Amino acid sequence: MANVSVFCFLASYLVSGVLEGYRLRGKSTINRVVLKGFALAGLIAHTFYLFNRAQQTNLPPLLSSTHDWLLVLAWLVIVLYIFLTLFDPELAIGLFLIPIVLALVSSAYFLQQSPNQLVSQEILIKEARHGWAMLHASLLVLGMAGGLIALVLGMMYLTQHRRLRQKQKMTEGMSLPSLGRIARLNWWSIVVSVPLLTLGMAVGVGLGLSSQQGNSPLSFTDPVIVAYGIAWLVMMGFFVWLLTSSRSQGRQIASLSIWTFSFLIVSVVVLQIISEKLEISVHAPAQTAISVESSIKETPQ
Amino acid sequence: MNLQVVFCNYHTSRVAVREKLAFTSPDHLQEAYRELQEAFPDSELVVLSTCNRVEVYAAHADDRYPSQEQLAQFFAEFHHIPVSDFFDDLLAEQGEEAVRHLFRVASSVDSMVLGESQIVNQVKDAYRIAKDNNSCGILTNTLFQRAIKVSSRVRTETKLSEGRVSVASVAVGDFGKSIFERFDDKTVLIIGAGEMAEETLRYLKEEGARKIIVVNRSTERAEMLAMNWGGEVSPWDQLDECLIKADIVVSTTGATQPVITEERYRAIRKASGDKPVFLLDLGAPRDISASVGDIDDNIFLYNIDDLEATCDLNRQQRSREVKKANTIIEEETALFMQELHHRETGPVVQRLRSQWHETREEELRRLFNKMPHLAEEDREQIENSVGRIINKLLHPPLETLREESQSGTPEGLVTALKKLFHIQD
Repeated sequence: MANVSVFCFLASYLVSGVLEGYRLRGKSTINRVVLKGFALAGLIAHTFYLFNRAQQTNLPPLLSSTHDWLLVLAWLVIVLYIFLTLFDPELAIGLFLIPIVLALVSSAYFLQQSPNQLVSQEILIKEARHGWAMLHASLLVLGMAGGLIALVLGMMYLTQHRRLRQKQKMTEGMSLPSLGRIARLNWWSIVVSVPLLTLGMAVGVGLGLSSQQGNSPLSFTDPVIVAYGIAWLVMMGFFVWLLTSSRSQGRQIASLSIWTFSFLIVSVVVLQIISEKLEISVHAPAQTAISVESSIKETPQ
Repeated sequence: MNLQVVFCNYHTSRVAVREKLAFTSPDHLQEAYRELQEAFPDSELVVLSTCNRVEVYAAHADDRYPSQEQLAQFFAEFHHIPVSDFFDDLLAEQGEEAVRHLFRVASSVDSMVLGESQIVNQVKDAYRIAKDNNSCGILTNTLFQRAIKVSSRVRTETKLSEGRVSVASVAVGDFGKSIFERFDDKTVLIIGAGEMAEETLRYLKEEGARKIIVVNRSTERAEMLAMNWGGEVSPWDQLDECLIKADIVVSTTGATQPVITEERYRAIRKASGDKPVFLLDLGAPRDISASVGDIDDNIFLYNIDDLEATCDLNRQQRSREVKKANTIIEEETALFMQELHHRETGPVVQRLRSQWHETREEELRRLFNKMPHLAEEDREQIENSVGRIINKLLHPPLETLREESQSGTPEGLVTALKKLFHIQD
């Protein structure tokens, strides 16, 4: 398992995605079993890959690089997918979730694997800050996973709503929950994910402020931080609207979930790729790979 | 052993005839069994009586099962109607055709609503009642048990029972359940008190709907419907207030003009807010203006045509499965007949086997008397060896007998075996 590459689980998820599409042609137990088999195989390979990466960098995948961070996010989404389909094999959630997983893993594939500058500049690895950095990354990844769920639920809502408004028969293999249930789950996923993202941002700001007294102060004009800030403001606007508006506006909530969380994810991922190419952010990988372990040892306490 | 079914169903007879021939209550059926057993004491009999069919399955060890005329006479005497009123509507099938007929009936291939699930329960009930009345025997037991298995196989291996095919079930199952997560906290408003409203209410109640308001111009009919389904009646002039409260509206009035116009419903939406509402317009002509559905995104309006379109698609899907179901039924019928024919050769096979084994025992006894010095182990070896010889010699004729059973009872072979080996009946 030491030789597991991103391609291994990307290919597994791709096969699962194709089989998910194939189920629209009719119910097939074989298809369902093979589909789950590939998703599970992908998850196992994915887990080994993340474990290997943690061994190589001596850091949890959440902290070492954006490549690993995105893969952790994809891992969470695929775990959720397998969990949900085990409970409700008819649910067509894979049609919405797997393309997102594929997009995340593909994005990670094109990102460099070396630890980012935050690590190399000792901003995050100083032991006192290590826990806070871990909390920052964890909250962001959990909030982002919640956002992805809200995005998927939004897509499911609009698909179901469109079918009902057009008075169409349910497509075989396209079993979706009721609008009421999707709307409720969507509301909760937003209500949970936005505070997580906000807390994650707040911890990040705290880390940035504390770094000002050190040798490598973090710049708040860093493009990735600015992009996060803008996305957070958009999200907060949506969040406030959500809490003050009627819950029955399911369609608007679904549409806005899609727009808001797509904007958040796309802006973060795209900016990460750009900053990596242009080396304009501390969230981008360091030019030369460093030994994180040695950095920790050398950091003055 | 022979089998016959005498029947009339919705293909062959009008409902008026079927009503006259039906056995409407368990007591009625019990009485019928008593009279049938008196008239045909040596026959196995099973009566299947539903609103779409009346069928009597009769089996007998030989050809002496009740004839079509005899059963027609029984129907006439039992129901006190002249034979001429229904004789032309009665059909009969014998042997393999009768088996195929039951398999088709139990699998719902022969049902008025193709693939409906009720019929298999009716077949199970008919079989149970026949057993309770000691009217079943080896053949009817095997036949009905197999028919239930065939029905289950058809249901599992085809999509014959998939998709709803009635307007009310499609409305609630395909659309209502896709809008609301639960029904127990929803207010159901019934406008008009027709049959369709009642059928829809049945499905809504099954889904847990509790709060039901009935509004009808005739209070008497509304009260009856409300009483049957645990609802409350509201006067016609309070329709707007009821519409404001309602999450689900089922309208089945006979009005010639729409009862709910766009203008009226816009005012109602202002008062009710933008909560999701499920409007079922089951009236013809329509009770709800089509433009009501365009007022906002949370109004889900369906009329009879919308629902019928889904029913039609489901019916088409079921029809496409009939071929697969028939293939299964053909396979199972052939297998059943083969087993039945083979079973008929059973007594001859058994006698042939016992005759040969008796000879074996006799010869071995004689041999062992002549050779008393043989050790127990040697005796055992000889016994086994002779047994194997007998089995090997018996195998070809019995195998041929089994193969010949596939195309019917091998009367010629059975007679030849009896003559060749002096097998007595």
